[in-house]
Amino acid sequence: MKDLIKQGNRSGLIIGVVLVFLILFGLTITLSEIVGDFLNLSSNTRTGNTAGLMVFFILLALWSGTRVSDNQKSNLKNSLVFGLSSGLVTGLIVSAFILLIGSLDAADVEMRDYLVQLNKPAIQFLLYGWSLIPGILFTFGTFLVFGTLGGFLTNFLVTRKIGDLIQKRFLKLKAKALDAKIVRSYQENPRSRWIGYGILMAIVFITPQFLGKYWNYAMGTVGIYVLMGLGLNIVVGLAGLLDLGYVAFFAIGAYTAGLLTAPAPIALQIGFWPVLILSVVFAAFAGILLGIPVLRMRGDYLAIVTLGFGEIIRVLIRSDMMTPYLGGPQGVRDIAGPSIFGLSLTSEKSYLYLIILGILLTILFTIYLQNSRIGRAWMAMREDETVAQAMGINTLYYKLLAFATGAGFAGIGGALFASRNQYTGPDDHTLMVSINVLCLLIVGGMGSIPGVIVGAFVLKGLPEILRELDLYRLLVFGALLVIMMIIRPEGIWPAPRRKMELHEDEPDIGHLIEGLEGNEG
Amino acid sequence: MSDPQPKKTTGRVSAFRIAQVIISILFLTFLTWRLYNVITSGVYGPDTWVRFAISGLIIGSVYAVIAIGYTLVYGILFMINFAHGEIMMLGAFSGYFVFEALNLIVADPVTGMSFLDKYWIISVVLAFIVGMFIAAVSGYFLERIAYRPLRGAPRLIPLISAIGASIFLQNAAQVMFGPKRRVYFNPASLTRSQGWRIPIGSEEVIVTYTGVLTIVLSILLMVGLYTLVMRTRYGRSMRAVAENKQTAALMGINVDRIISNTFIISGALGGAAGVMWGIHNGIIYHFVGFIPGLKAFTAAVLGGIGNIPGAMVGGIVLGVVESLGPAALGLDFQLKDVIAFSILVLILIFRPSGIVGEVLSEEKV
Repeated sequence: MKDLIKQGNRSGLIIGVVLVFLILFGLTITLSEIVGDFLNLSSNTRTGNTAGLMVFFILLALWSGTRVSDNQKSNLKNSLVFGLSSGLVTGLIVSAFILLIGSLDAADVEMRDYLVQLNKPAIQFLLYGWSLIPGILFTFGTFLVFGTLGGFLTNFLVTRKIGDLIQKRFLKLKAKALDAKIVRSYQENPRSRWIGYGILMAIVFITPQFLGKYWNYAMGTVGIYVLMGLGLNIVVGLAGLLDLGYVAFFAIGAYTAGLLTAPAPIALQIGFWPVLILSVVFAAFAGILLGIPVLRMRGDYLAIVTLGFGEIIRVLIRSDMMTPYLGGPQGVRDIAGPSIFGLSLTSEKSYLYLIILGILLTILFTIYLQNSRIGRAWMAMREDETVAQAMGINTLYYKLLAFATGAGFAGIGGALFASRNQYTGPDDHTLMVSINVLCLLIVGGMGSIPGVIVGAFVLKGLPEILRELDLYRLLVFGALLVIMMIIRPEGIWPAPRRKMELHEDEPDIGHLIEGLEGNEG
Repeated sequence: MSDPQPKKTTGRVSAFRIAQVIISILFLTFLTWRLYNVITSGVYGPDTWVRFAISGLIIGSVYAVIAIGYTLVYGILFMINFAHGEIMMLGAFSGYFVFEALNLIVADPVTGMSFLDKYWIISVVLAFIVGMFIAAVSGYFLERIAYRPLRGAPRLIPLISAIGASIFLQNAAQVMFGPKRRVYFNPASLTRSQGWRIPIGSEEVIVTYTGVLTIVLSILLMVGLYTLVMRTRYGRSMRAVAENKQTAALMGINVDRIISNTFIISGALGGAAGVMWGIHNGIIYHFVGFIPGLKAFTAAVLGGIGNIPGAMVGGIVLGVVESLGPAALGLDFQLKDVIAFSILVLILIFRPSGIVGEVLSEEKV
């Protein structure tokens, strides 16, 4: 019994603290609006949907009550005690917090000077537009009553069982679908696989015709990130070298394209196509130059040094010393776009086609490398450098090769990016670019080409759709990375080999998780 | 990962080595030439050099305190705690809020003096305690949520999780506190312009009180930590875990608890560094921990990672070099970050085990 109350208090504490942080982030307003819109509820304040907030709290309380551990679920008294203690603690924390900010607000302390999300309307909203005491009592009551109710309901709604049932059905369906004639012939017959690729290609090439200007631009950004992801995939995914300064090569590509085609600060004004090739060459050369001293280092030292290199490049671009040559903080303007036979190709749509073409070539190149002697050497190096060396692989040479290839792809990405925007400046080349590319690689699945594409869409495409959550984009990003590493380190669409590696010691991981839960309980 | 220095036998590898040596010799010659030029030209008088050296010492002692946090965690888990700079930022914000809150309390009704100005020593102590506490708690939860489930995973995975945690904390701070830069409101007797005046030649150099406070506090913290790790029973168990977790567990040491406590200690140091940063530099915002964090890691590597005295030496050396470097080489002061990271690269090429030497168990490296 005492254990159970402790368990409930603990669970309630976690939910309460998380909820307090949601309030501090201002996410309660967004969430209540989503819930309110979904249920078509009306509101009595303008800041957010108060009815939505009530429903959100009720749902949270119900869920907190159902978190009782499985072996206690069958017992009515136990689950009631759990729900009650959990709801009580959550209610206490949340209402105490609202009481604090509410009374501070009533005492005319400007909360928003310190915590920007807690302005007057937001505090009013948390009190449902009522005065202090009823608002807090209502919140407290909600958690207490519905927490208990949640515990009570676990006896009847055997949620676990329903979940199991759905999963079983799904697995059965999946097996059936895999067994179907079409799927089997697709899997067995290489020719039908090519037809599949053909259809995919056709879709990819037709879609830009139907997208508007904005979406073509957004998809172009996603495409450039796919390009860079494919490049970094060679460095990190295949060769296993963690490069956190990838943006440096992107910047070199962008600035090569910018400086050689723009009228200022160096009036060379070479055409787009030779410059595209030059930017690849320069970026790859920079990769080799950086690689020679640093590639001997241990993995995580390499990460820090490359990160430092990225910062050095950015600081140099920005510095007064280089302004006459690189344009300084103002950047480089009027970068030329591509043209064929005098026909200018600077619309968003033609850039998208250009990028798609680049991606296709890159994919073919990557597949070729992956299945060649070079690719096998990279993978051997990633698995165990010492053994690879013992097998006669010149590790430094192959590392340099990987570094230069990856840098070259970043160079293309940078050149396309700069010429599409007709501008490039130091703010385009922050550390966030490196981290974004690395993240899309990890979220998609390291070492896997479809994974890179999926990752780029998730990380660069989704935020375009969820514009209203823009403020929270990076917040969610960071949390997503951590969660991803914990529950699915191999990514959304993993390379088969990597998945195998990460789940080699599955029983051990299971054991670990069990131990962890035991600790918490 | 690989054995420390494999014997080079093939011709190609040694060609790389020769190229490396030639490039570095050219680079060093260039540096000496610049240094000679600047010193003989006499652009900077002796007072300026002293001023640079003092500010370098101050910033270096902050780096040293942060670097110890990195070194402790790296010594035990062999991972770069990428979010350590953000822990420092949280500490800085906590101290800021303490100062702001104390400034609202009126302690002397006659003169209208605030608590902050009247009892400034108590206020500063309070700010440090709260900052260290909040940072320690964040460090504990950081390990619990983002790192502990990943123990035993391939090395890249905790690093990525750490990057994720770092992004999360930065943006959480931005969403909660807003993107604007805040000015640390110091007590009246500790403003950033006051200090002792030391005559050097015909000029005067001001050693600010905040700077002295920073140096003294960081020395105290470092001595305290060194004693804790090297002289106490608890420190011995920490070193045992760093050496070999399994054997330590067999000796009856609770490895999980030691790791948790390491994060708490390193978090507290980060928090203290954050408050020092705020009091001395004066401006904080959500991104404030990132560059100092990176530099502190550089400092930890510079001194030899896993080595506590090494982190102290590395921090102070980095601070001084970074502050003297731009002047000594006749470069822009904007380029001091470039100098700091170049030092990192040079150290890793020529002496990967750092100035003082690494202290890591053999098998893990």
